Parts: sequence; C-alpha cells; structure tokens
Amino acid sequence: MISCKEATFLISKKEENKLSFVEKIKLKMHLLICSFCRLFEKQSKLISMNASKSHQHYTAVLSDSSKENIIQNLKDVSD
Amino acid sequence: MSNLSSFNPEQWVQKYSDALYAYTVVRVNDSGLAEDLVQETFSSAWKSRASYKAEASEKNWLYAICKNKIIDHYRKNANNIVRPAEINTSENYFNEEEHWKKEAAPSDWGIDYNLPIETKEFYLILELCKNKLQEMQQSVFVMKFMEGLESDEICKALNITPSNYWVLIHRAKLQLRSCLEKNWINPT
Repeated sequence: MISCKEATFLISKKEENKLSFVEKIKLKMHLLICSFCRLFEKQSKLISMNASKSHQHYTAVLSDSSKENIIQNLKDVSD
Repeated sequence: MSNLSSFNPEQWVQKYSDALYAYTVVRVNDSGLAEDLVQETFSSAWKSRASYKAEASEKNWLYAICKNKIIDHYRKNANNIVRPAEINTSENYFNEEEHWKKEAAPSDWGIDYNLPIETKEFYLILELCKNKLQEMQQSVFVMKFMEGLESDEICKALNITPSNYWVLIHRAKLQLRSCLEKNWINPT
C-alpha cells in the first residue's frame, strides 16, 4: 500500500491525467481506505478549479496618472 | 464591431486598463511590475493593431497579449531565482511512515467542493497563501492553475524537468490547502 505522501503526489498527477496504469490502481486502493486523502483530492481540485478566477474578485485599479502615462506612451508611438 | 479606425488610445485605456491590471497583479504579486506589464501590453497591441483580426473580440485580444507578457516575465525570472537547496517541507505534513500527521491531516470543509466559489474572502486568502509559497512554486502555480498552460510548456519555459515540476506542484498544493484550511475555514 502506498503512503499518504505518495498518494497526494499522485493526486496532483491525476488532475493532469498523467497517471500510469499501475499508479492509477495504487491510488485507487489507497483512496478506498484513506478518508484524509479523499478530502485532499477534493480540496486540491477545488483550488485548481477556482484559482484562475482570482482577478474577478479582486478590485485593483490603476491610478489616473498611470493611465495618463500609458495613453501618452501610445500617442508617442503613433506620432 | 471595432475596426482599425476605432483604435483610440484614450478609449482603450479607459475601457480595459483596470481589468488588465487586476488580472496581472494577482498573477505577479507586485503592483509596479503589473503596471509595467499592462503598459507593455498596450504598446504591443498598439504596434500590432494592423494585424488585429476582428474575429477575436478586442478584449480577448488584449488579454492574450497580456497573458504572454506574464508568461514571459516568469520565463525570464526563472533564470534569476536563487533556487534554495530543496527544503523538504513534507515533514510538516507527514510522519516517518509518510502518513498524515494528526495536526496536518485535512478536515472536511463542509462545503460542496464541486461548486465554483464566489466569496471574495476565499480569493483574498488564496492570494495571501500563494504569496507565501517559494518563488518556483509560485511560478508553476500561476502558469498551471491561473494561466492554464500544459505541464510540458511550463517545464520548457522555466527550464525544469518533469520530475521537478511534479514535486513543485505537490508541495504548492500541500501548502495552499493547509493555509486555506487554517485561514479561510478555521480563522482564529
């Protein structure tokens, strides 16, 4: 039976469909008996699924002077 | 739809700069650098506006350019990162038999793990947790989970082997999960 350390390692590979046949079996057997690693799998997937949306929940704005700089920069290029 | 004559620097910047900035700052975690990358995005877009095809929306086109700037930043930065001797952080989580330590074992968060998360707090804490990762872990995390690159592209860009990559991803995930549980689920 593989350890939790190895199982969590394989869980990351599984998310990217990079497990070999043998690794799949080993992980499946481990997950059958280990509730901690089952939770790890769900929570790891949750992080993977949501990470790319961070900016939609983040209010960051550029200062007016920064915007002015960018505009000036574009105008300089086009002159 | 926009055509070439509608490219107007003022309108462009007013319309897209804040969104591009927010997109960039959570990915590079440095406001000055994010500002530079947004500026470069606009100037690259401006210079190549003649080749812009209206089949992509103007917004998606700008995001694509911005995304390339961010990846390029991580690629260049990879050469400058002092890579600390691999610190084995796994003993924070696992005992000698490599099973979960009691205090580090995952607990149930009591949420539906398959639903998208909409609470601002989660993203704020994820950001803080991400910023605590080692630099190389942050690089792979951003490129994989925020930019959605394939692992072989990431290995190439960062000049690492696939086994380095899996170790970095594994450690980043262990640390982020634990950090979220501590600060999002069970804040003290």
